[in-house]
Amino acid sequence: MNISKRQNALLLALLICLPIIALIHLFVGQIDISFTDYFDSIFNFDDRNASHLISRELRIPRMTMAVIAGAGLSIAGLLMQTLFNNPLAGPYVLGINSGASLFVALTIMTGIPFFTSDLGIVTNALIGAFLFGLIILFFSTMVRMQISLLLIGLMLGSFTSALVSLAQTASDAQELKIFTMWALGSLQKVELHQLPLILACFGASILGAFLVVKPLNALVLGDKEARLLGTNIKRVRLVIILITAIITGVVTAFCGPIAFVGLAVPNLVRILFKTQSHAILIIASILIGAMFILLCDIAIQLIEPHFIMPINALTSIIGAPFVILLVLRRLK
Amino acid sequence: MIQTQGLHIGYSESILSMDDLHLSNGVHILIGRNGSGKSTFLKTLAGQIPKIMGSIKIQNNEVSAISIEELPKIISFVSSQFPIVEFLRVSEFVGLGRNPHTNFFGKKTNKDIEAIDKALETLGISYLRDRFTLELSDGEKQLVSIAKALTQETAIIALDEPTAFLDYSNKKLVLGKLVAIGQEFNKCILLSSHDLDLSLDVNCPFLVIDDTSKTIRFIEPGISKSELIKIAFD
Repeated sequence: MNISKRQNALLLALLICLPIIALIHLFVGQIDISFTDYFDSIFNFDDRNASHLISRELRIPRMTMAVIAGAGLSIAGLLMQTLFNNPLAGPYVLGINSGASLFVALTIMTGIPFFTSDLGIVTNALIGAFLFGLIILFFSTMVRMQISLLLIGLMLGSFTSALVSLAQTASDAQELKIFTMWALGSLQKVELHQLPLILACFGASILGAFLVVKPLNALVLGDKEARLLGTNIKRVRLVIILITAIITGVVTAFCGPIAFVGLAVPNLVRILFKTQSHAILIIASILIGAMFILLCDIAIQLIEPHFIMPINALTSIIGAPFVILLVLRRLK
Repeated sequence: MIQTQGLHIGYSESILSMDDLHLSNGVHILIGRNGSGKSTFLKTLAGQIPKIMGSIKIQNNEVSAISIEELPKIISFVSSQFPIVEFLRVSEFVGLGRNPHTNFFGKKTNKDIEAIDKALETLGISYLRDRFTLELSDGEKQLVSIAKALTQETAIIALDEPTAFLDYSNKKLVLGKLVAIGQEFNKCILLSSHDLDLSLDVNCPFLVIDDTSKTIRFIEPGISKSELIKIAFD
């Protein structure tokens, strides 16, 4: 009883902190926007009012995207870690981001207009992410050691970045610009009208994750044990890869590759909650993942007057040492 | 409860044939050399690997015809390796035994919680409930694994070398618990073991893998140690 009480208290604290941090995020930008501006920009929008425009077209989409990217990538990481029985798995290290990047790069550079539209980029990011998910899934059935799969993922990443550079040298200035802008990526690029599509994909993934809670709990014991407990492994694997591909694809399509969130957050969640019950792990990953990216983006906005820090750089600066700590901790 | 007829088992090619068996309640101890096919037999029974030919039936249903959702309600399997998972509590681990019975979301009803409590109590390990599985001793791990199999509430429990890696007193404890469970709950328990002396002590029937004829033979309790060695190891 004690354990679940502690977990509930932690969840409640996170649930209270998240909206507070989200609110702080809305108010840290360089231009002062008041609370009434936000209120009016939603319920009383005036497109000649600069404050309204900033809140509605920039701040709200950016805040929403931070929440979705953080929560989404964390869920993707959690699912992959459980599926592959490897706490160091994640969409970035296993090359799911790379798949999305590769497909976006190749299609932007084919010059076909559909592909450079919002829907085109998202579709391609999704296909790339799903395809690379299947590749990793294929390899996972062949390798026995956890470390091998991580190495394969890293190699996939190197391989695709080589292909992307090749495509870049072969493309013209306009295409190169579109791709470079995308690859730099940030939370600021999302526009209000794109949010419904992103929210729909995000919602579908979260829902999907909750639908596989029972198989996830069994998969903790490994494929064989899970099957002995009546889990339909083949189907569950595909569903999990599909969910991670959708969420990683969409986030990568709009924000560029964001590293280490998917790897680090679920580990932090397990350390905090000390459980393998996925209903709790999923909820906590959503909350902590969202808070983590929000906090990163608050920091980025605070140092913006001095220099510009891409979100991917900051998550790597924080995430990589954390992962090293995790590895050292496991070696003990 | 378990019936076999003209059964041949193995990976891809037949390595073992079997006497036609008719096993009912109680403990059956599987004896044989390393690599002789003890695990293969248990895994075939648990539906993990397909049989080569013949028939193996559980409660009059062919194993291969039982769906992967139904099979875990009839037979539980305790593998020889305990999973290494961080932050997995004993209560969560044992609770996974309820997976075949819970609904789509895995929600545990009062009945499920009772089954977990009862299993822990039966094995005398209620005090381990909130511990992490990684922190358990080898003996405790084995008892916890058996508790998980018990919560599955199956008619048959198959265990792959449950007494390996244990000290003498834990071997005795585990074997004793299994015999008690077989009697008290009317379950058919199959376990493989290399502990001949202890196995002879509990006075249960054996399934011995005859090394010369490559067959699994049913031996009534009361066989002498030398005879047992002669069949299995000479």
